Amino acid sequence: MNEQQTQSLPVLPIRNSVLFPYMLIPLSASRGPSVAAIEAALTTEEKELVVVAQRNAGVENPKQDDLYTIGTKAVIRKMARPRPETVEIIVQGIERVVLIRAEQNDPYLRYRVRPLPFPEDRGPEVEALQRAIIDLAQQALSLASPGMPVDLSQVLGPTGDPLRLVYALGSVLTLEVEKEQSVLAADTVVDALRLMHGYLSYEVKVLQLRREIATQAQTEMSKEQREYLLRQQLQAIRQQLGEKDADQAEVELLRERLEKADLPEHVQKEAERELQRLERLPAVSPERHVSRTYLELVLELPWNKGTEDIMDIQRAREILDQDHFDLEDVKERILEHLAVLKLNPAAKAPILCFVGPPGVGKTSLGQSIARALNREFQRMSLGGLHDESELRGHRRTYIGALPGRIIQAIRRAGVNNPVLMLDEVDKLGRDFRGDPAAALLEILDPEQNRDFRDNYLDLPFDLSHVFFITTANSLDPIPRPLLDRMEVLRLSGYSEEEKIEIARRYLIPRQTEENGLRPNQLVLPDEVLRKIISGYTREAGVRQLERAIGRVMRRVVLHAVEGEGKEITATEEMLADILGPESFFQEKARRELPAGVAAGLAWTETGGEVLYVEASLLPDGSGLTLTGQLGDVMKESAKAAQSYIWSHALDLGIDPAGFKNNGIHIHVPAGAIPKDGPSAGIAMATALASLYCGEPARSDTAMTGEITLTGLVLPVGGVKEKVLAARRAGIKRVILPRANQKDLRELPEVVRKELEIILVDRIEDVLGAAIPPLFQKLAVAK
Amino acid sequence: MPIFVFDKQTISETEWQPRADVYSTPTGWALKFDLAGVRPEDVKVEVQDMFLRVSGVRRDWIIERGWRHQSMEIAYSRFERVFQLPCDPTTCRVSIERQEGMLVVRIDDERKRKELDYE
Repeated sequence: MNEQQTQSLPVLPIRNSVLFPYMLIPLSASRGPSVAAIEAALTTEEKELVVVAQRNAGVENPKQDDLYTIGTKAVIRKMARPRPETVEIIVQGIERVVLIRAEQNDPYLRYRVRPLPFPEDRGPEVEALQRAIIDLAQQALSLASPGMPVDLSQVLGPTGDPLRLVYALGSVLTLEVEKEQSVLAADTVVDALRLMHGYLSYEVKVLQLRREIATQAQTEMSKEQREYLLRQQLQAIRQQLGEKDADQAEVELLRERLEKADLPEHVQKEAERELQRLERLPAVSPERHVSRTYLELVLELPWNKGTEDIMDIQRAREILDQDHFDLEDVKERILEHLAVLKLNPAAKAPILCFVGPPGVGKTSLGQSIARALNREFQRMSLGGLHDESELRGHRRTYIGALPGRIIQAIRRAGVNNPVLMLDEVDKLGRDFRGDPAAALLEILDPEQNRDFRDNYLDLPFDLSHVFFITTANSLDPIPRPLLDRMEVLRLSGYSEEEKIEIARRYLIPRQTEENGLRPNQLVLPDEVLRKIISGYTREAGVRQLERAIGRVMRRVVLHAVEGEGKEITATEEMLADILGPESFFQEKARRELPAGVAAGLAWTETGGEVLYVEASLLPDGSGLTLTGQLGDVMKESAKAAQSYIWSHALDLGIDPAGFKNNGIHIHVPAGAIPKDGPSAGIAMATALASLYCGEPARSDTAMTGEITLTGLVLPVGGVKEKVLAARRAGIKRVILPRANQKDLRELPEVVRKELEIILVDRIEDVLGAAIPPLFQKLAVAK
Repeated sequence: MPIFVFDKQTISETEWQPRADVYSTPTGWALKFDLAGVRPEDVKVEVQDMFLRVSGVRRDWIIERGWRHQSMEIAYSRFERVFQLPCDPTTCRVSIERQEGMLVVRIDDERKRKELDYE
């Protein structure tokens, strides 16, 4: 190696950049070895050092392996120390050098380097590449600053020397270190030019793409403006021709309808104002659609339109009787209302609430009423409704706002006096969005609903002619103020006899028709129906019964289709075949009761049930334990029963010591079902009395009634269901409070005949009837 | 009268350019170069064709042991400055002199001198 050409120079490693010959760059050094290398160069007469790029910018103290082997010899043109630990220099590249060997590592890197000139190359390829690069650079420049012609030589300096051109571009473009280094380390001038050509064309493509994106956004904008302009022109042309455009025609149509419509004055005014607003709105405005929908609603609502009621009581009675069996009480009340309306047409329509178990005909009764009155019928379910806005509507400011369900129902009905049935009013939800029950308060109040304001409509609408009917399975979940506004009519469950009658009159004909059978193709004897009712259904209503009848029918249809078109008489054996084994077994009355057990009667949503109250003594225990998921009222009633028996122990011939020495446990099966209410009071008192005196209560007797501390027996509800349940279970005698005598009217004749009903005023009467030995013993003792 | 053309840009541009004043004199031109601190042996003045080229190296030799750079503005290392001559070098006489760190290049034009003589 020619030592003459080599030189020993300090080495300054730099990150993220490459210094090209001819180029000036500012550098800032704060790393110890870098500062030392710069200071070493400064103390020489020539101020020369070698600048080399680091392979990995993350390395803090680069060693030989961390540096590229080709660097640039540079001269320090200026230097300054802005801070004690930092040296800032401006260096200018002189020529590229190759690092031959390290001569020193500490305190700074010193290498022996040799200049690495390019072989002389002036062929046509160099010229061609040079021109191509200048073209590309020119393009890049015009793309980067459009509309502002910049002279290439201003950016790159003189472009005569191909290498200088490449190096100038290399430092102007923001290339990665690897790419810059590859340009610096190119073997020949042609290689360097080729590399730069490649990088530059990529850069131009990126710039072009950027330009395209920018112009695309621009053209989209101007397209919209163009459309607007064209529409304006179109409108002007139409006006010239005397034509109306579609939007204008629409407004005209609405105006025509508005003039013809029979609207109250304030509505007419509001609608005209809205129409004027609509006219002014531009055709493309989304507001226009909102405005039009609103106007259509206003025009369609039956502000003054109502149906004429048919006030023929006789006809109404016939229709009600046709559609529904029994329910005498309810029908009577409906007819009463009708009669009032007949005498005073201005009377407010009543708001009825039908309460009863599922399937007893609440909804169909509503339909019958509408038919009897000759009114339109609309029904909507409130079950699970939890948003007040559903009832009252959303304000029009909201996107997609709609009128509430009430106004929608009125619109569907097309008259302002329909029968509007609000189903499942007991299943209203309630959450942070509001309480729909509160909204119902206004709707169902005859004093307020004359001026019902829907949020969407924002005009008062008169709901006072609407015949509201609500239905519920249970009254408990209905808020009191709401309940207060309605007249409650109870539809209790049906007895077996009633169900058979209903099946004969309505269910069998309906199913026969639905399943395509001829009348009388299937004969269902009473005992078969009875079997279906007791063995396959357990319900207060008749839905399951209808389904079961339907299944039996479909089996007959199958036989008929298969060719056996004869009449078929259903038998009990066939039932097992069609409906499967019996699903329910009646809880039969327990044959013999041990001391401490009494039969009570309970009311449930699906009808009545017999429940046994069990009591037992806990020797050496104390207090009263109550189990069986009893509610607070039921627990208190148990305590009252115990206190009564305790305080009257002597009268009943019971040793008071029994109370002191023993604890007591009362349990009411089935333990998994929550129970509440005071109506088991006398049953608990009977169980306790029987326990203390050791005499069992009569097993054929069930009872219901509330007990007071002084021994009075108070009336309870749900008597019909309870008595029917007792009869189903095979009970022969039922003890009821005398105040419930009026309810006996509801009971079918057969039931009244079959059961012995014992009406009582005081608990002594109950005990006498339920535990006959108790008083016989007392009499003997006296 | 021909005009003194200012520097033609050096091609490589890796050298610094010393500042220069140009004068016209009764007998020709004079150029004054600011070359303070440059050793006489490090300066080269050449006339090639129609060009006057002043080049060389400024070495930083006024530096003592223990001195530490705090800032640096003076340009060291190689320099070059090229001027196009207004006259044919064959009829010109170029002379160099040094004064207190300044390099003065005198260019005497024979024709101009003749004109002067006639007057």
